[in-house]
Amino acid sequence: MPQTIATFSNVSYVYPRSDTPALRDISLEIPKGEFLGLIGPNGAGKTTLSLMFNGIVPQFYGGRFFGAVTVAGLDTLEHPISSLARHVGIVLENPETQITATSVENEVAFGLENLKVPRDEIRARIPRVLEAVRLEGMERRHPQELSGGQKQRLAIAAVLAARPSLLVLDEPTSQLDPVGAREVFDTILELNHTLGITIVIASHAAEELAECADRLLLLAAGEIVDEGPPDEVYAQVERLEELHIRLPDITRTFYFLRRRGFSVPELPVTLTQGLAAIRPLMTRCDPTPPEANPATVRRDGDPLISVTHLSHTYPNGTQALCDISLDIHRGEYVLITGQNGAGKSTLVRHFLRLLLPTAGEVTVDGEATPDLTTSALARCIGYVAQNPDVQIFSSTVEKEVTFALHHLGLSSDKIQTRCQESLAAMGLLAVADRHPLSLPRGERARVVIAAILALEPEAVILDEPTTGQDEQGARLILDLTKQLHSAGKTVIVITHHLHLMADYAERVVVMGERTLLRDAPIRVAFHEPNLLAKTYLAPPQAVRLAQAIAHETGVAMPFLTPMELARAFTKGTAAGNS
Amino acid sequence: MNAIALQTVDRRSVFTRLDFRPKLFMMFTITMVAFIWEDPRLGGGLALAVLLSCLAAGIRAGYIRTVLALMLPFSALVILTQGFFSTTLITTLTGRQPDDFRMLIAFPSTWPLVGGAGLSWEGVLYALNIVAKSLTMTLVIALGVFTTDIDAMVVGLVKARVPYKIAFVFSATLRFFPLLFAKAQAIIEAQRLRGLALEGMGLLRRLRIYARIVVPLILSSLIDSQMLDVVLQSRAFNGSSDRTYLHRSRLKAADWIAIGLTGLFLAAAAIGYAVFGIGRFGGVLRP
Repeated sequence: MPQTIATFSNVSYVYPRSDTPALRDISLEIPKGEFLGLIGPNGAGKTTLSLMFNGIVPQFYGGRFFGAVTVAGLDTLEHPISSLARHVGIVLENPETQITATSVENEVAFGLENLKVPRDEIRARIPRVLEAVRLEGMERRHPQELSGGQKQRLAIAAVLAARPSLLVLDEPTSQLDPVGAREVFDTILELNHTLGITIVIASHAAEELAECADRLLLLAAGEIVDEGPPDEVYAQVERLEELHIRLPDITRTFYFLRRRGFSVPELPVTLTQGLAAIRPLMTRCDPTPPEANPATVRRDGDPLISVTHLSHTYPNGTQALCDISLDIHRGEYVLITGQNGAGKSTLVRHFLRLLLPTAGEVTVDGEATPDLTTSALARCIGYVAQNPDVQIFSSTVEKEVTFALHHLGLSSDKIQTRCQESLAAMGLLAVADRHPLSLPRGERARVVIAAILALEPEAVILDEPTTGQDEQGARLILDLTKQLHSAGKTVIVITHHLHLMADYAERVVVMGERTLLRDAPIRVAFHEPNLLAKTYLAPPQAVRLAQAIAHETGVAMPFLTPMELARAFTKGTAAGNS
Repeated sequence: MNAIALQTVDRRSVFTRLDFRPKLFMMFTITMVAFIWEDPRLGGGLALAVLLSCLAAGIRAGYIRTVLALMLPFSALVILTQGFFSTTLITTLTGRQPDDFRMLIAFPSTWPLVGGAGLSWEGVLYALNIVAKSLTMTLVIALGVFTTDIDAMVVGLVKARVPYKIAFVFSATLRFFPLLFAKAQAIIEAQRLRGLALEGMGLLRRLRIYARIVVPLILSSLIDSQMLDVVLQSRAFNGSSDRTYLHRSRLKAADWIAIGLTGLFLAAAAIGYAVFGIGRFGGVLRP
């Protein structure tokens, strides 16, 4: 029987000033060397559970705690957090908030210094852990010079240096581009395999968890509702969809195939398993490529936003954009994507005069942005920036939403109507009287979106709107963008969560190397993996499966979603396969 | 964009090479000298020397401009108050009687409230001395702090027997201020993105808008500081000085020379003032 690194015995926990338990009766044993994935919707208790491993909950937060947690044989209630830090390393969601030092080596050294590790030993450990997370040679770099993925790997290195036997990661990849996320998963998998470090990771990254985890723990409303190997847990598609948990595209594809009458004895959860499972189907049924395959996106009239030879250099000398030309027409749904730091936000900030071009020109509705004010542009273009917390400044959700409306000179009835409509669209009516900062991150982001939508702008720009959202929250926001688009609004979404966008965007602008790499219909752009790789993106899993099928059949298969892929197999000789 | 970096210099100079302890000593001695000297010519010269050192060390001219701009209203206020009301102080310092003061502005005694009051040249000179002191102190801190890496600063402070907890709080505060300004800017930006037209507003309305961001700023900063606390505790931080340090802080020859020279400067200024009257306020009034 393997040794146990952590044990939870009938653990329940209630945060201070709360009546609802964040965790209820959790009993759990984690063997040494296990790779455990925590999945569940936002608010399920994943973060609370993660923070229990080193005693932050309840020692730091207080509240009511029941049961017992032991880690490396130490009771987390009886031992101070600083002692538990020798055994448990924690990596949190936002890499920015975890940086405490002004150089990479100082960041790694900080925890070791606190643990009184001798200087020579610290010196010896720094290169080793940096090598383990592939940051060797960057010792003297300022952490702010690193990309998002590198920062998160630095956070891992900083906790790894203390040689913990247990590494706990809470949504470590949600703010990273796909390649950065892959790098983090590759790194922790290697640490798990080579050093035997036990991994506990809370994540919505279904595809990566399916490949890496030994066991998944499904949490809902603070309770463990299921546990087992990924192929067993993800096989319960209906239940997971009911809980709004994201499934690997591969699993959904085969689930749809099964529902269409194909024989799929076991639902695959990884791309490799999917490729193996699709081959027998292909011998019995020729997949049919989609009928519509538009090579261009329809664009009518004068552009709403026009960018001509735009370059931008920040005051510190960093060139963020180089010679970009782009037109966005009324009624388009545009996805702007690219790696962390590709210049996506810098580009759209020019649309609102939050930045002025160093060279080139940006016009909105025919007028050059330097001749307009941000407040005037904001009535035409609603912009929801990345971090919701710095866009919240009112004492209640309702006041936040009505703030802009008071500047429009509307009647109080009209203000109330628009406010209620916006709150309802974002599912926030029940929290209208709450302080926005008291809400979970996902809801805080939706408050800001509701506040912008209340202005009823002609175009809406959402900058990374799905970051920190679970599947349900992300779909709620994106479904709303679809409604806005159907109502004739121009929608621009910036994200590197490509798997979410296949059902929504028509046109994709791919940015990288400080410029525009590709401007094409989504069905074209998503099927150019080499182009996407240039800017650290990877096509969604369904697209990769479609490409594998195209490779086998020699026929182009520009599918984007699991449903489309499954439908390709409905024609032909499916009857003989059940 | 680097949102959380503290203002630092890119240029290598004698200031960046020094340990933080001689810089700390330099900050102390120059501040003391600024306090000792009452002569605005010497005080102004010292302020100018520190300002030139800042520029030579690579502190951005934009930063110095901001400091000077922020000091303008303060300076104007000091000149007015000292110019009008420092009669007794100047008499004490110089023995000169109010009737002998050189008046720059004098209100007729028949005027209500201000009748008989006057702005004296001596008061203005004393005010300039105060302005020079303030400028010297502000810039010498910038010179010492901006030319030092924050982590080196912490080690230097601990070596100077400052408790680690205090040194860490000091360094965390330095890191925190740029973040706070970035947040304040982001909140104002968010308001502009909701149609708030700051462009057409008068100063008072703008000030009201700025005042309103204080509460969300504090709340948001509290959330950040709580998260930072979680991160620090997770990394075994408990504020104890009983810890090791990656970097050594050893005083080299250049550091000792800097300590010696600044110490000598302070001693010379003190002796010059006490024995020869150099730097006394009366000196500037002699013909």
